[in-house]
Amino acid sequence: MKKWVIFMLFFLLSLGLLKAKIDVDLFGYFESQIMGVNIHKEFIGLFSNKLRLDLKSEIANNITFAANFNCLLYHGKTEWNILDFLPDSAVAEVPEGMESYYLFPFSDRYYLDNAYIKFAFKYFDFIVGKQQISLGTGYVWNPVDIFNVKDYLDPTYEQPGHNALRIDVPLGSTFTLTALYGPEDTWSASAKLIQIKGRIGRFDFAFIAIDKSWLFHDYVEFDTDIMNFTELPEKRQLLGFSTAGELFGIGVWVEYAYNWMEETDDFYELVVGADYTFDFQTYVMVEYYRNTLAKSNYEDYTLNDWLRLMTQEQKAIARDQIYVLLQHPVSDLISLGLSTIYCISDNSMGLIPALNYSLSENVEIMVYLNFNIGKDGKAYAKTMGRGGMIRVRVYF
Amino acid sequence: MKKIIISVLVIIALMVPLLPGQELSGDDIIKKVNELFNVESGYAKSKMIIVTTSGSKRTFIYESWQKNKGEKNLVRYLEPRRVKGQAVLMLNNANDIWMYFPRTQRVRKLASHAKKQKMQGSDFSYEDMGSGDSFLEDFNTKRLKDEKLEGKDCYQLELTRKPDSDLSYSRLVMWIIKENFVPVVIDYYDEKDPTHLEKRLVESDIRIIDNIPTAMKIVMYNKNDNTQTVMELLEVRYNIKLDDSMFTERGLKK
Repeated sequence: MKKWVIFMLFFLLSLGLLKAKIDVDLFGYFESQIMGVNIHKEFIGLFSNKLRLDLKSEIANNITFAANFNCLLYHGKTEWNILDFLPDSAVAEVPEGMESYYLFPFSDRYYLDNAYIKFAFKYFDFIVGKQQISLGTGYVWNPVDIFNVKDYLDPTYEQPGHNALRIDVPLGSTFTLTALYGPEDTWSASAKLIQIKGRIGRFDFAFIAIDKSWLFHDYVEFDTDIMNFTELPEKRQLLGFSTAGELFGIGVWVEYAYNWMEETDDFYELVVGADYTFDFQTYVMVEYYRNTLAKSNYEDYTLNDWLRLMTQEQKAIARDQIYVLLQHPVSDLISLGLSTIYCISDNSMGLIPALNYSLSENVEIMVYLNFNIGKDGKAYAKTMGRGGMIRVRVYF
Repeated sequence: MKKIIISVLVIIALMVPLLPGQELSGDDIIKKVNELFNVESGYAKSKMIIVTTSGSKRTFIYESWQKNKGEKNLVRYLEPRRVKGQAVLMLNNANDIWMYFPRTQRVRKLASHAKKQKMQGSDFSYEDMGSGDSFLEDFNTKRLKDEKLEGKDCYQLELTRKPDSDLSYSRLVMWIIKENFVPVVIDYYDEKDPTHLEKRLVESDIRIIDNIPTAMKIVMYNKNDNTQTVMELLEVRYNIKLDDSMFTERGLKK
């Protein structure tokens, strides 16, 4: 109830500012979505309605304020049992009597996101507040981005904002030095990032170093003090680089990050990608991803591996994967796509046919289906269900 | 002062071919057209209306800036809301392209093959929008028989793609108004089949802006898809002062 009051206040304030003719740009979108999956011969559906209200204002010369408020309401099957989607071998690891802890609730949310002030000085930009942090050149996976994890079903969907102080200093016309501080309880637990990004010839390069506290959970142990699974925090230090450019007319990108972990094993992630647009407008992209934190044999996947994947504590459960995207505009308003994710490590595969339709200038419809082809226990197992999503988005 | 000098030079350059008894070669004519297209710097606010096969329309409004005779280009969308804030930076005559997506604040580098992609689903490709000195560098020019088009005396040129060029058109045929060197019609032929007409561009409503004849309306007809895109210039300024920092990733994200 309290959140609704905050939302209404935000909305009324926005309208008030508009009415007062203060130079505020008010925009956003409404999104209605149906997501369904057929699991154990039963169809379960989750419906959601999201309203995102954006405010942007140049409050003074070279000072910009931006924020958005999001209202996300769910109905339908709003509590999913994660164990329904897992292989028998992982479910067997659940301690007796703890089955009810593996329910994932989709709760209504009202939240302020991306609320920041940007100061654009002559020699640098300074951004303070909750902001987007987008790192790396990969399309589905970004080894150097430890702030976000993309969903392979919908990799271009916007990411949540992160509290940070960020400074971007242009060094000449081709290089930029970025320093970012993501405050937490203590200096040690806070995220620190430094990046140098630039262009050499036809290639963009970025070298990046990050120090961040990382939180794994042990999903077979429950901590009654915090009433959650046992927390296993540790320090994560990352050194990486990314590049994007062109070779023989083909777009190419590489992203690599080595992670030094305080407690667990060090690991690295690597992405190598390429894309091309044919004369007949068909676009094709291939991306290879390796993550040595993940397992190379599917028989070694544990309950912790599955849960850490689902909660985005780690980006993959299988070590080597390939993503292929084919996209073609069948008309000026409709685009068809087919994504395939193939797990080299366990020989399983997911197919994601998709359709985008521009219903009108500010209304778009997106539909995708998801079919997994793989044996039980593998990364893209048939038993994990077949599903899909329909999303209608109206921009205002 | 510099602006006045440039304007006078442009006028003189345009008047030179009008001197009696002087016959211009195809190369001379295409150089004049190139000068007209690629002013030192410029700003435009444009409306782009895409007419689809079903007859429905999509309208986009965007601002664009160009510098170094079209070598650097920046396009930023104002409308519709769906794409507001999206921006495209094209450097080195659109050989290097970056796209900015405001909702994710992500900048994506695109390889030169992306030039072939339609700009927001229109009949203009990125290549059509920011090709700099392409007429001179990518084509060999041949003058054809002069013709009268819509009551105007026109030069007719055939531009054939050079073997080392990676441009998407095998050849172009242009009709250029003798009086002001504005190409009123450009036919674009298929990359592989030089006899297959792919697109036709028609320029009209020519006005003198900052002493430069400017087509305020440009229509691209796509003969393959039977669609068309109308581009109307709502505001144009030439030879304005633009800082190089505009044409960087920082400028792209502004």
